[in-house]
Amino acid sequence: MIDIARKILLHDKLRFLITVSGVAFAVTLVCVQVGLFAGLLSSATVTIEKSDADIWITSKNTANVDFSVPFSESFVQRVRSVPGVERADNLIVWFSRINLPTGATEGILLYGLENFTRWKLPWKIEDGDAENLRRGNFIMLDASARKRYGTFATGDFREISGHRLKIIGSTQEAKSFTTTPMAFIDYRLLQQIDPIALGDKTTYVLVKLLPGADAEAARAEIQRRLPYHDVHLKNHWAQLSKSYWVTSTGIGLNMGITVFLGCLVGVVVVAQTLYTSVMDHFKEFATVKAIGGSNGDIYRIIAKQAVIAAVCGFILGAGMSLLMQPIMASVDLALILKPEFFGIVFVGTVALCLVASAISFRKIATLDPALVFRS
Amino acid sequence: MNIIEASNVVKTFTEGRESVQVLRGVSLNVERGEIVALEGPSGSGKTTLLSILGCILTPSEGEVIIDGQRVTRDESVLPGIRRRSIGFVFQQFNLFGALTAQENIEYALNLKGTRGRDARVESDQLLEAVGLGERKRFLPRDLSGGQKQRVAIARALAGNAPLLLADEPTANIDTATATQILELFRRLAKEQNRTLLIVTHDPKVRAITDRVLHIADGLIKETP
Repeated sequence: MIDIARKILLHDKLRFLITVSGVAFAVTLVCVQVGLFAGLLSSATVTIEKSDADIWITSKNTANVDFSVPFSESFVQRVRSVPGVERADNLIVWFSRINLPTGATEGILLYGLENFTRWKLPWKIEDGDAENLRRGNFIMLDASARKRYGTFATGDFREISGHRLKIIGSTQEAKSFTTTPMAFIDYRLLQQIDPIALGDKTTYVLVKLLPGADAEAARAEIQRRLPYHDVHLKNHWAQLSKSYWVTSTGIGLNMGITVFLGCLVGVVVVAQTLYTSVMDHFKEFATVKAIGGSNGDIYRIIAKQAVIAAVCGFILGAGMSLLMQPIMASVDLALILKPEFFGIVFVGTVALCLVASAISFRKIATLDPALVFRS
Repeated sequence: MNIIEASNVVKTFTEGRESVQVLRGVSLNVERGEIVALEGPSGSGKTTLLSILGCILTPSEGEVIIDGQRVTRDESVLPGIRRRSIGFVFQQFNLFGALTAQENIEYALNLKGTRGRDARVESDQLLEAVGLGERKRFLPRDLSGGQKQRVAIARALAGNAPLLLADEPTANIDTATATQILELFRRLAKEQNRTLLIVTHDPKVRAITDRVLHIADGLIKETP
Protein backbone atom coordinates (compact mmCIF):
# COMPACT_ATOMS: atom_id res chain seq x y z
CA MET A 1 0.00 0.00 0.00
CA ILE A 2 1.36 3.39 -0.99
CA ASP A 3 2.06 5.32 2.20
CA ILE A 4 0.42 8.52 0.99
CA ALA A 5 0.14 9.91 4.53
CA ARG A 6 3.91 9.81 5.10
CA LYS A 7 4.69 11.04 1.60
CA ILE A 8 2.37 14.06 1.85
CA LEU A 9 3.73 14.84 5.31
CA LEU A 10 7.38 14.64 4.27
CA HIS A 11 6.78 16.37 0.95
CA ASP A 12 6.53 19.71 2.74
CA LYS A 13 9.62 19.41 4.92
CA LEU A 14 9.37 22.83 6.53
CA ARG A 15 5.81 22.23 7.68
CA PHE A 16 6.79 18.79 8.95
CA LEU A 17 9.71 20.31 10.86
CA ILE A 18 7.41 22.88 12.46
CA THR A 19 4.94 20.17 13.48
CA VAL A 20 7.63 17.91 14.93
CA SER A 21 9.27 20.87 16.69
CA GLY A 22 5.96 21.77 18.31
CA VAL A 23 5.47 18.24 19.57
CA ALA A 24 9.10 17.97 20.67
CA PHE A 25 8.85 21.26 22.56
CA ALA A 26 5.71 20.07 24.34
CA VAL A 27 7.27 16.68 25.17
CA THR A 28 10.44 18.35 26.50
CA LEU A 29 8.41 20.79 28.59
CA VAL A 30 6.32 18.01 30.10
CA CYS A 31 9.27 15.67 30.68
CA VAL A 32 11.51 18.31 32.26
CA GLN A 33 8.75 19.75 34.41
CA VAL A 34 7.49 16.40 35.64
CA GLY A 35 11.06 15.08 35.93
CA LEU A 36 12.09 18.02 38.10
CA PHE A 37 8.93 17.62 40.13
CA ALA A 38 9.68 13.93 40.63
CA GLY A 39 13.25 14.84 41.57
CA LEU A 40 12.05 17.34 44.16
CA LEU A 41 9.51 14.90 45.55
CA SER A 42 12.07 12.14 45.75
CA SER A 43 14.24 14.37 47.93
CA ALA A 44 11.17 14.99 50.10
CA THR A 45 11.07 11.31 50.99
CA VAL A 46 14.60 10.16 50.30
CA THR A 47 15.33 9.16 53.90
CA ILE A 48 12.02 7.29 54.15
CA GLU A 49 12.77 5.40 50.95
CA LYS A 50 16.41 4.67 51.75
CA SER A 51 16.14 3.75 55.42
CA ASP A 52 15.51 0.18 56.47
CA ALA A 53 12.43 1.06 58.52
CA ASP A 54 9.13 -0.65 57.69
CA ILE A 55 7.10 1.56 60.02
CA TRP A 56 7.54 5.17 61.10
CA ILE A 57 6.01 6.46 64.31
CA THR A 58 5.48 10.21 64.45
CA SER A 59 3.85 12.66 66.78
CA LYS A 60 0.18 13.24 66.03
CA ASN A 61 -0.53 14.87 62.66
CA THR A 62 3.06 15.36 61.63
CA ALA A 63 2.72 16.57 58.06
CA ASN A 64 6.01 15.42 56.56
CA VAL A 65 9.36 13.99 57.53
CA ASP A 66 11.11 17.37 57.65
CA PHE A 67 8.60 18.97 60.04
CA SER A 68 9.22 16.80 63.05
CA VAL A 69 7.72 17.33 66.49
CA PRO A 70 9.46 15.91 69.60
CA PHE A 71 7.87 13.37 71.92
CA SER A 72 9.17 11.25 74.75
CA GLU A 73 11.88 8.83 73.72
CA SER A 74 10.60 6.23 76.16
CA PHE A 75 7.72 5.25 73.85
CA VAL A 76 10.19 3.17 71.90
CA GLN A 77 10.01 0.58 74.71
CA ARG A 78 6.31 -0.01 74.08
CA VAL A 79 7.03 -0.58 70.44
CA ARG A 80 9.83 -3.09 70.95
CA SER A 81 7.46 -5.48 72.70
CA VAL A 82 4.92 -5.58 69.89
CA PRO A 83 4.73 -9.01 68.20
CA GLY A 84 6.37 -8.97 64.77
CA VAL A 85 8.78 -6.15 65.61
CA GLU A 86 12.41 -7.09 65.09
CA ARG A 87 13.82 -3.81 66.34
CA ALA A 88 12.79 -0.22 67.04
CA ASP A 89 15.00 2.84 67.54
CA ASN A 90 14.56 6.55 68.09
CA LEU A 91 15.41 8.94 65.28
CA ILE A 92 15.69 12.69 65.67
CA VAL A 93 15.24 14.89 62.61
CA TRP A 94 15.89 18.48 63.56
CA PHE A 95 16.50 21.80 61.85
CA SER A 96 19.40 23.79 63.22
CA ARG A 97 21.90 26.37 62.09
CA ILE A 98 25.54 25.81 61.31
CA ASN A 99 28.23 28.48 61.76
CA LEU A 100 30.37 28.91 58.68
CA PRO A 101 34.02 30.03 58.61
CA THR A 102 32.86 33.26 56.99
CA GLY A 103 30.90 34.14 60.12
CA ALA A 104 27.58 33.52 58.44
CA THR A 105 25.12 30.86 59.51
CA GLU A 106 23.13 28.50 57.31
CA GLY A 107 20.31 26.07 57.87
CA ILE A 108 21.06 22.40 58.35
CA LEU A 109 18.81 19.36 58.74
CA LEU A 110 20.30 17.03 61.33
CA TYR A 111 19.57 13.31 61.46
CA GLY A 112 20.41 11.70 64.81
CA LEU A 113 20.56 7.95 65.39
CA GLU A 114 22.42 5.74 67.85
CA ASN A 115 23.26 3.21 65.17
CA PHE A 116 23.25 4.52 61.61
CA THR A 117 24.46 1.41 59.82
CA ARG A 118 21.65 -0.67 61.33
CA TRP A 119 19.13 1.60 59.57
CA LYS A 120 21.15 1.96 56.36
CA LEU A 121 21.52 5.70 56.87
CA PRO A 122 23.27 7.52 55.30
CA TRP A 123 22.88 5.42 52.16
CA LYS A 124 25.61 6.90 49.96
CA ILE A 125 28.88 7.72 51.65
CA GLU A 126 31.51 9.71 49.80
CA ASP A 127 34.10 9.56 52.56
CA GLY A 128 34.29 8.21 56.14
CA ASP A 129 32.38 5.64 58.17
CA ALA A 130 28.99 6.30 59.80
CA GLU A 131 29.88 3.76 62.52
CA ASN A 132 32.31 6.33 63.95
CA LEU A 133 29.63 8.96 64.49
CA ARG A 134 28.83 7.58 67.97
CA ARG A 135 32.46 7.87 69.08
CA GLY A 136 32.66 11.62 69.73
CA ASN A 137 31.59 15.10 68.67
CA PHE A 138 31.51 14.10 65.07
CA ILE A 139 29.37 14.95 62.07
CA MET A 140 29.05 13.81 58.46
CA LEU A 141 27.98 16.50 56.01
CA ASP A 142 26.43 16.01 52.62
CA ALA A 143 28.49 16.95 49.59
CA SER A 144 25.62 19.13 48.33
CA ALA A 145 26.35 21.43 51.29
CA ARG A 146 29.53 22.69 49.63
CA LYS A 147 27.48 25.07 47.47
CA ARG A 148 25.93 26.67 50.55
CA TYR A 149 28.57 26.16 53.24
CA GLY A 150 31.69 26.55 51.12
CA THR A 151 34.35 23.89 50.78
CA PHE A 152 34.97 21.50 53.64
CA ALA A 153 36.98 18.37 54.08
CA THR A 154 37.21 15.44 56.47
CA GLY A 155 39.05 16.64 59.55
CA ASP A 156 37.66 20.19 59.41
CA PHE A 157 35.59 21.55 62.27
CA ARG A 158 32.23 23.31 62.19
CA GLU A 159 30.07 24.71 64.98
CA ILE A 160 26.38 24.03 65.59
CA SER A 161 24.65 25.72 68.55
CA GLY A 162 27.94 26.23 70.38
CA HIS A 163 29.10 22.65 69.81
CA ARG A 164 32.36 22.26 67.93
CA LEU A 165 31.98 19.22 65.68
CA LYS A 166 34.64 17.44 63.67
CA ILE A 167 33.72 16.45 60.13
CA ILE A 168 34.57 12.74 59.84
CA GLY A 169 33.17 12.13 56.39
CA SER A 170 30.76 13.21 53.72
CA THR A 171 27.67 11.76 52.10
CA GLN A 172 25.87 12.18 48.78
CA GLU A 173 22.23 12.72 47.75
CA ALA A 174 21.22 13.66 51.30
CA LYS A 175 19.30 16.82 50.58
CA SER A 176 15.86 17.76 51.83
CA PHE A 177 12.93 18.97 49.75
CA THR A 178 13.76 22.54 50.73
CA THR A 179 17.32 21.88 49.45
CA THR A 180 18.65 22.25 53.01
CA PRO A 181 21.61 19.86 53.25
CA MET A 182 21.36 16.97 55.65
CA ALA A 183 23.98 16.05 58.21
CA PHE A 184 24.32 12.91 60.28
CA ILE A 185 25.17 13.05 63.96
CA ASP A 186 24.96 10.83 67.02
CA TYR A 187 21.53 10.71 68.66
CA ARG A 188 22.70 11.74 72.17
CA LEU A 189 24.93 14.46 70.78
CA LEU A 190 21.98 15.90 68.87
CA GLN A 191 19.93 15.97 72.10
CA GLN A 192 22.76 17.94 73.71
CA ILE A 193 22.79 20.45 70.86
CA ASP A 194 19.21 21.48 71.63
CA PRO A 195 18.57 20.16 75.16
CA ILE A 196 15.50 22.28 75.78
CA ALA A 197 13.59 20.91 72.81
CA LEU A 198 15.18 17.49 72.59
CA GLY A 199 16.13 16.47 76.15
CA ASP A 200 14.90 12.87 76.62
CA LYS A 201 12.92 13.34 73.44
CA THR A 202 12.88 11.88 69.97
CA THR A 203 10.98 12.94 66.85
CA TYR A 204 10.42 9.53 65.27
CA VAL A 205 10.59 5.88 66.13
CA LEU A 206 11.82 3.63 63.35
CA VAL A 207 10.51 0.08 63.32
CA LYS A 208 11.92 -2.93 61.51
CA LEU A 209 9.60 -5.92 61.28
CA LEU A 210 10.57 -9.57 61.42
CA PRO A 211 10.68 -11.31 58.04
CA GLY A 212 7.17 -12.48 57.12
CA ALA A 213 5.48 -10.36 59.77
CA ASP A 214 2.06 -8.91 58.94
CA ALA A 215 2.95 -5.24 58.51
CA GLU A 216 -0.59 -3.91 58.79
CA ALA A 217 -1.30 -6.00 61.88
CA ALA A 218 1.90 -4.77 63.52
CA ARG A 219 1.08 -1.18 62.58
CA ALA A 220 -2.41 -1.49 64.03
CA GLU A 221 -1.08 -2.98 67.25
CA ILE A 222 1.50 -0.19 67.62
CA GLN A 223 -1.22 2.36 66.95
CA ARG A 224 -3.34 0.72 69.65
CA ARG A 225 -0.49 1.01 72.13
CA LEU A 226 0.40 4.58 71.08
CA PRO A 227 -3.01 6.18 70.53
CA TYR A 228 -1.64 9.72 70.67
CA HIS A 229 0.86 9.13 67.88
CA ASP A 230 0.58 8.39 64.19
CA VAL A 231 1.89 5.06 62.97
CA HIS A 232 2.59 4.82 59.27
CA LEU A 233 3.74 2.05 57.00
CA LYS A 234 6.77 3.17 55.02
CA ASN A 235 4.98 3.75 51.70
CA HIS A 236 2.07 5.54 53.32
CA TRP A 237 4.39 7.85 55.20
CA ALA A 238 6.31 8.63 52.00
CA GLN A 239 3.06 9.32 50.21
CA LEU A 240 1.90 11.56 53.04
CA SER A 241 5.14 13.54 52.97
CA LYS A 242 4.91 13.98 49.21
CA SER A 243 1.26 14.96 49.34
CA TYR A 244 2.06 17.69 51.82
CA TRP A 245 4.43 19.42 49.43
CA VAL A 246 2.21 18.86 46.43
CA THR A 247 -0.95 20.24 48.00
CA SER A 248 0.26 22.80 50.49
CA THR A 249 2.90 24.61 48.47
CA GLY A 250 1.18 24.97 45.12
CA ILE A 251 4.06 23.14 43.47
CA GLY A 252 1.63 20.46 42.29
CA LEU A 253 -0.67 23.06 40.78
CA ASN A 254 2.31 24.78 39.18
CA MET A 255 3.45 21.54 37.64
CA GLY A 256 -0.08 20.71 36.51
CA ILE A 257 -0.44 24.07 34.80
CA THR A 258 2.91 23.73 33.05
CA VAL A 259 2.07 20.22 31.89
CA PHE A 260 -1.32 21.43 30.69
CA LEU A 261 0.28 24.33 28.82
CA GLY A 262 2.85 21.97 27.30
CA CYS A 263 0.09 19.67 26.09
CA LEU A 264 -1.91 22.64 24.84
CA VAL A 265 1.04 23.98 22.85
CA GLY A 266 1.57 20.55 21.31
CA VAL A 267 -2.10 20.09 20.46
CA VAL A 268 -2.44 23.58 19.00
CA VAL A 269 0.70 23.26 16.86
CA VAL A 270 -0.27 19.83 15.56
CA ALA A 271 -3.91 20.80 15.03
CA GLN A 272 -2.97 23.97 13.22
CA THR A 273 -0.34 22.46 10.95
CA LEU A 274 -2.46 19.41 10.14
CA TYR A 275 -5.47 21.60 9.46
CA THR A 276 -3.55 23.89 7.11
CA SER A 277 -2.08 20.80 5.48
CA VAL A 278 -5.59 19.44 4.97
CA MET A 279 -6.71 22.75 3.49
CA ASP A 280 -3.68 22.83 1.18
CA HIS A 281 -4.38 19.28 0.04
CA PHE A 282 -8.14 19.63 -0.02
CA LYS A 283 -8.37 19.02 -3.73
CA GLU A 284 -6.11 15.98 -3.44
CA PHE A 285 -8.39 14.58 -0.76
CA ALA A 286 -11.38 15.29 -3.03
CA THR A 287 -9.50 13.30 -5.68
CA VAL A 288 -9.08 10.42 -3.22
CA LYS A 289 -12.85 10.41 -2.85
CA ALA A 290 -13.44 10.75 -6.59
CA ILE A 291 -11.26 7.75 -7.41
CA GLY A 292 -13.07 5.56 -4.93
CA GLY A 293 -11.75 6.45 -1.50
CA SER A 294 -14.05 7.04 1.44
CA ASN A 295 -13.98 9.56 4.26
CA GLY A 296 -12.45 6.75 6.33
CA ASP A 297 -9.51 6.48 3.91
CA ILE A 298 -8.85 10.21 4.33
CA TYR A 299 -9.27 10.07 8.12
CA ARG A 300 -6.67 7.32 8.17
CA ILE A 301 -4.26 9.49 6.16
CA ILE A 302 -4.63 12.41 8.57
CA ALA A 303 -4.51 10.21 11.67
CA LYS A 304 -1.36 8.51 10.40
CA GLN A 305 0.24 11.90 9.80
CA ALA A 306 -0.61 12.81 13.39
CA VAL A 307 0.95 9.59 14.66
CA ILE A 308 4.12 10.13 12.58
CA ALA A 309 4.41 13.69 13.95
CA ALA A 310 3.80 12.36 17.47
CA VAL A 311 6.44 9.62 17.22
CA CYS A 312 9.09 11.90 15.66
CA GLY A 313 8.28 14.71 18.10
CA PHE A 314 8.39 12.31 21.05
CA ILE A 315 11.78 10.89 20.05
CA LEU A 316 13.21 14.39 19.65
CA GLY A 317 11.58 15.66 22.85
CA ALA A 318 12.62 12.64 24.91
CA GLY A 319 16.17 12.98 23.58
CA MET A 320 16.30 16.65 24.53
CA SER A 321 14.94 15.83 27.99
CA LEU A 322 17.66 13.24 28.52
CA LEU A 323 20.25 15.80 27.43
CA MET A 324 18.87 18.15 30.08
CA GLN A 325 19.66 15.63 32.85
CA PRO A 326 23.40 16.40 33.17
CA ILE A 327 22.70 20.11 32.78
CA MET A 328 20.21 20.01 35.65
CA ALA A 329 22.55 17.85 37.72
CA SER A 330 25.24 20.50 37.35
CA VAL A 331 22.97 22.92 39.24
CA ASP A 332 22.03 20.27 41.82
CA LEU A 333 18.59 19.58 40.42
CA ALA A 334 17.53 15.99 40.01
CA LEU A 335 15.65 15.32 36.78
CA ILE A 336 14.06 11.90 37.23
CA LEU A 337 12.99 10.34 33.92
CA LYS A 338 11.91 6.73 34.30
CA PRO A 339 11.14 4.43 31.34
CA GLU A 340 7.54 4.00 32.53
CA PHE A 341 7.14 7.78 32.58
CA PHE A 342 8.42 7.99 29.02
CA GLY A 343 5.88 5.28 28.16
CA ILE A 344 3.05 7.38 29.58
CA VAL A 345 4.30 10.51 27.78
CA PHE A 346 4.54 8.55 24.51
CA VAL A 347 0.98 7.26 24.77
CA GLY A 348 -0.21 10.74 25.77
CA THR A 349 1.63 12.35 22.87
CA VAL A 350 0.10 9.97 20.34
CA ALA A 351 -3.36 10.37 21.88
CA LEU A 352 -3.19 14.17 21.93
CA CYS A 353 -1.90 14.33 18.37
CA LEU A 354 -4.80 12.12 17.29
CA VAL A 355 -7.19 14.44 19.12
CA ALA A 356 -5.55 17.39 17.34
CA SER A 357 -5.98 15.65 13.99
CA ALA A 358 -9.68 15.08 14.69
CA ILE A 359 -10.25 18.80 14.19
CA SER A 360 -9.45 18.25 10.52
CA PHE A 361 -11.89 15.33 10.37
CA ARG A 362 -14.82 17.76 10.52
CA LYS A 363 -13.54 19.53 7.46
CA ILE A 364 -13.14 16.24 5.61
CA ALA A 365 -16.69 15.20 6.51
CA THR A 366 -17.94 18.21 4.51
CA LEU A 367 -15.55 17.61 1.61
CA ASP A 368 -17.39 17.67 -1.69
CA PRO A 369 -15.71 15.37 -4.19
CA ALA A 370 -17.19 17.51 -6.99
CA LEU A 371 -14.37 19.90 -6.09
CA VAL A 372 -12.22 17.86 -8.47
CA PHE A 373 -14.02 19.46 -11.39
CA ARG A 374 -13.29 23.01 -10.32
CA SER A 375 -10.30 24.91 -11.64
CA MET B 1 -25.15 -3.51 -23.64
CA ASN B 2 -25.48 -0.07 -22.06
CA ILE B 3 -22.96 0.94 -19.46
CA ILE B 4 -24.76 4.22 -18.77
CA GLU B 5 -28.53 4.31 -18.50
CA ALA B 6 -29.96 7.61 -17.38
CA SER B 7 -33.61 8.51 -17.63
CA ASN B 8 -35.34 11.77 -16.73
CA VAL B 9 -32.48 12.92 -14.54
CA VAL B 10 -33.25 16.12 -12.71
CA LYS B 11 -30.75 17.91 -10.48
CA THR B 12 -31.77 20.85 -8.37
CA PHE B 13 -29.36 22.78 -6.17
CA THR B 14 -30.88 24.63 -3.26
CA GLU B 15 -29.17 27.38 -1.34
CA GLY B 16 -31.30 29.17 1.20
CA ARG B 17 -34.59 30.01 -0.47
CA GLU B 18 -33.09 29.84 -3.94
CA SER B 19 -33.43 26.68 -6.01
CA VAL B 20 -31.71 26.22 -9.33
CA GLN B 21 -32.64 23.34 -11.60
CA VAL B 22 -29.45 22.54 -13.48
CA LEU B 23 -30.62 19.33 -15.19
CA ARG B 24 -34.25 19.26 -16.33
CA GLY B 25 -34.90 15.65 -17.28
CA VAL B 26 -31.84 14.28 -19.02
CA SER B 27 -32.09 10.85 -20.59
CA LEU B 28 -29.01 9.17 -21.95
CA ASN B 29 -27.80 5.71 -22.89
CA VAL B 30 -24.16 4.92 -23.69
CA GLU B 31 -22.99 1.50 -24.85
CA ARG B 32 -19.91 -0.33 -23.68
CA GLY B 33 -16.91 0.61 -25.84
CA GLU B 34 -18.53 3.77 -27.15
CA ILE B 35 -16.71 7.11 -27.22
CA VAL B 36 -19.04 10.04 -26.63
CA ALA B 37 -18.40 13.76 -26.40
CA LEU B 38 -20.60 15.98 -24.29
CA GLU B 39 -20.51 19.60 -25.39
CA GLY B 40 -22.28 22.67 -24.19
CA PRO B 41 -21.79 26.22 -23.07
CA SER B 42 -20.67 27.15 -19.59
CA GLY B 43 -23.45 26.68 -17.04
CA SER B 44 -25.34 24.26 -19.26
CA GLY B 45 -25.05 21.39 -16.74
CA LYS B 46 -22.18 19.42 -18.31
CA THR B 47 -20.17 19.04 -15.15
CA THR B 48 -23.25 18.34 -13.04
CA LEU B 49 -24.24 15.54 -15.42
CA LEU B 50 -20.66 14.23 -15.37
CA SER B 51 -20.71 14.29 -11.56
CA ILE B 52 -23.95 12.30 -11.47
CA LEU B 53 -22.73 9.78 -14.05
CA GLY B 54 -19.46 9.58 -12.05
CA CYS B 55 -21.43 8.85 -8.85
CA ILE B 56 -20.07 11.97 -7.20
CA LEU B 57 -23.52 13.56 -7.00
CA THR B 58 -26.89 11.87 -6.77
CA PRO B 59 -29.81 12.96 -8.96
CA SER B 60 -32.72 14.84 -7.38
CA GLU B 61 -35.10 12.86 -9.59
CA GLY B 62 -34.85 10.19 -12.25
CA GLU B 63 -32.87 7.00 -12.50
CA VAL B 64 -29.23 6.34 -13.23
CA ILE B 65 -27.69 2.91 -13.72
CA ILE B 66 -23.91 2.65 -14.13
CA ASP B 67 -22.42 -0.68 -15.22
CA GLY B 68 -25.58 -2.41 -13.97
CA GLN B 69 -25.50 -0.70 -10.56
CA ARG B 70 -28.33 1.62 -9.61
CA VAL B 71 -27.20 5.01 -8.28
CA THR B 72 -29.33 5.60 -5.20
CA ARG B 73 -29.67 8.55 -2.86
CA ASP B 74 -27.68 6.54 -0.32
CA GLU B 75 -24.27 8.16 -0.69
CA SER B 76 -22.51 5.33 1.11
CA VAL B 77 -22.84 3.09 -1.95
CA LEU B 78 -21.28 5.63 -4.31
CA PRO B 79 -17.58 5.09 -3.42
CA GLY B 80 -18.02 1.40 -4.21
CA ILE B 81 -19.41 2.12 -7.70
CA ARG B 82 -16.62 4.64 -8.30
CA ARG B 83 -14.00 2.08 -7.29
CA ARG B 84 -15.38 -0.74 -9.40
CA SER B 85 -16.63 0.96 -12.52
CA ILE B 86 -15.33 4.47 -13.08
CA GLY B 87 -12.06 6.12 -13.95
CA PHE B 88 -11.73 9.91 -14.00
CA VAL B 89 -9.52 12.26 -15.98
CA PHE B 90 -9.65 15.85 -14.80
CA GLN B 91 -8.96 19.15 -16.47
CA GLN B 92 -6.44 20.06 -13.73
CA PHE B 93 -4.93 16.51 -13.76
CA ASN B 94 -5.39 16.30 -9.95
CA LEU B 95 -2.34 14.15 -9.44
CA PHE B 96 -0.97 13.76 -5.91
CA GLY B 97 1.99 16.12 -5.76
CA ALA B 98 3.89 14.07 -3.20
CA LEU B 99 3.65 10.83 -5.19
CA THR B 100 5.65 9.83 -8.25
CA ALA B 101 3.90 9.04 -11.51
CA GLN B 102 4.00 5.35 -10.66
CA GLU B 103 2.82 5.89 -7.08
CA ASN B 104 -0.13 7.98 -8.30
CA ILE B 105 -1.35 5.00 -10.29
CA GLU B 106 -0.42 2.49 -7.62
CA TYR B 107 -2.36 4.42 -4.99
CA ALA B 108 -5.48 4.41 -7.20
CA LEU B 109 -5.03 0.66 -7.59
CA ASN B 110 -4.64 0.31 -3.81
CA LEU B 111 -7.97 2.09 -3.30
CA LYS B 112 -9.54 -0.28 -5.82
CA GLY B 113 -8.23 -3.27 -3.87
CA THR B 114 -5.05 -4.20 -5.78
CA ARG B 115 -2.01 -4.14 -3.50
CA GLY B 116 1.70 -4.92 -3.37
CA ARG B 117 3.49 -6.43 -6.33
CA ASP B 118 0.32 -6.75 -8.43
CA ALA B 119 -0.28 -3.00 -8.12
CA ARG B 120 3.37 -2.27 -8.94
CA VAL B 121 3.29 -4.45 -12.07
CA GLU B 122 -0.02 -3.03 -13.28
CA SER B 123 1.10 0.56 -12.74
CA ASP B 124 4.29 -0.18 -14.70
CA GLN B 125 2.23 -1.61 -17.57
CA LEU B 126 -0.12 1.36 -17.57
CA LEU B 127 2.74 3.84 -17.64
CA GLU B 128 4.31 1.92 -20.54
CA ALA B 129 0.94 2.03 -22.32
CA VAL B 130 0.79 5.83 -22.08
CA GLY B 131 4.45 6.13 -23.07
CA LEU B 132 5.81 7.25 -19.72
CA GLY B 133 7.69 4.13 -18.64
CA GLU B 134 10.90 6.13 -18.47
CA ARG B 135 9.41 8.75 -16.17
CA LYS B 136 7.68 6.60 -13.64
CA ARG B 137 9.76 7.91 -10.77
CA PHE B 138 9.14 11.57 -11.60
CA LEU B 139 7.02 13.74 -9.34
CA PRO B 140 4.17 15.59 -11.09
CA ARG B 141 6.04 18.91 -10.69
CA ASP B 142 8.78 17.51 -12.91
CA LEU B 143 6.39 16.49 -15.70
CA SER B 144 4.96 18.63 -18.51
CA GLY B 145 1.21 19.23 -18.81
CA GLY B 146 0.87 16.56 -21.46
CA GLN B 147 2.84 14.06 -19.40
CA LYS B 148 0.71 14.79 -16.34
CA GLN B 149 -2.41 14.14 -18.39
CA ARG B 150 -0.94 10.85 -19.59
CA VAL B 151 -0.37 9.84 -15.98
CA ALA B 152 -3.96 10.86 -15.22
CA ILE B 153 -5.18 8.70 -18.10
CA ALA B 154 -3.12 5.78 -16.83
CA ARG B 155 -4.64 6.30 -13.38
CA ALA B 156 -8.15 6.35 -14.87
CA LEU B 157 -7.41 3.08 -16.67
CA ALA B 158 -6.13 1.46 -13.46
CA GLY B 159 -8.29 -1.30 -12.10
CA ASN B 160 -10.01 -1.97 -15.45
CA ALA B 161 -12.84 0.48 -14.84
CA PRO B 162 -15.20 0.01 -17.80
CA LEU B 163 -16.31 3.66 -17.81
CA LEU B 164 -13.86 6.54 -18.26
CA LEU B 165 -15.14 10.05 -17.61
CA ALA B 166 -12.98 12.95 -18.75
CA ASP B 167 -13.58 16.58 -17.89
CA GLU B 168 -11.96 18.90 -20.44
CA PRO B 169 -8.88 16.67 -20.74
CA THR B 170 -7.23 18.89 -23.34
CA ALA B 171 -7.94 22.26 -21.74
CA ASN B 172 -4.58 22.73 -20.08
CA ILE B 173 -2.26 21.39 -22.75
CA ASP B 174 -1.01 22.71 -26.08
CA THR B 175 -2.68 21.76 -29.38
CA ALA B 176 -0.08 19.27 -30.56
CA THR B 177 -0.02 17.47 -27.23
CA ALA B 178 -3.81 17.55 -27.05
CA THR B 179 -4.02 15.73 -30.38
CA GLN B 180 -1.58 13.07 -29.13
CA ILE B 181 -3.49 12.70 -25.86
CA LEU B 182 -6.82 12.30 -27.64
CA GLU B 183 -5.40 9.72 -29.98
CA LEU B 184 -3.90 7.85 -27.06
CA PHE B 185 -7.20 8.02 -25.24
CA ARG B 186 -9.10 6.71 -28.26
CA ARG B 187 -6.65 3.90 -28.92
CA LEU B 188 -6.61 2.66 -25.33
CA ALA B 189 -10.39 2.90 -24.97
CA LYS B 190 -10.98 0.95 -28.16
CA GLU B 191 -8.26 -1.65 -27.46
CA GLN B 192 -9.65 -2.35 -24.03
CA ASN B 193 -13.35 -1.90 -24.90
CA ARG B 194 -13.78 0.92 -22.40
CA THR B 195 -16.52 3.49 -22.62
CA LEU B 196 -15.27 7.05 -22.81
CA LEU B 197 -17.42 10.09 -22.08
CA ILE B 198 -15.60 13.38 -22.63
CA VAL B 199 -16.97 16.71 -21.49
CA THR B 200 -15.33 19.32 -23.67
CA HIS B 201 -15.34 22.64 -25.45
CA ASP B 202 -12.52 21.47 -27.73
CA PRO B 203 -13.71 20.77 -31.30
CA LYS B 204 -10.72 18.43 -31.84
CA VAL B 205 -12.37 15.94 -29.54
CA ARG B 206 -15.09 15.28 -32.11
CA ALA B 207 -12.51 13.58 -34.30
CA ILE B 208 -12.15 10.63 -31.96
CA THR B 209 -15.76 10.20 -30.88
CA ASP B 210 -18.50 7.89 -32.08
CA ARG B 211 -21.15 10.50 -31.34
CA VAL B 212 -21.51 13.95 -29.87
CA LEU B 213 -24.14 15.05 -27.37
CA HIS B 214 -24.99 18.66 -26.83
CA ILE B 215 -26.38 19.95 -23.57
CA ALA B 216 -28.05 23.29 -23.15
CA ASP B 217 -30.27 24.62 -20.40
CA GLY B 218 -30.18 21.28 -18.64
CA LEU B 219 -31.42 19.23 -21.59
CA ILE B 220 -29.53 16.98 -24.00
CA LYS B 221 -29.83 16.83 -27.72
CA GLU B 222 -27.78 14.62 -29.99
CA THR B 223 -25.69 16.31 -32.68
CA PRO B 224 -25.54 14.34 -35.95
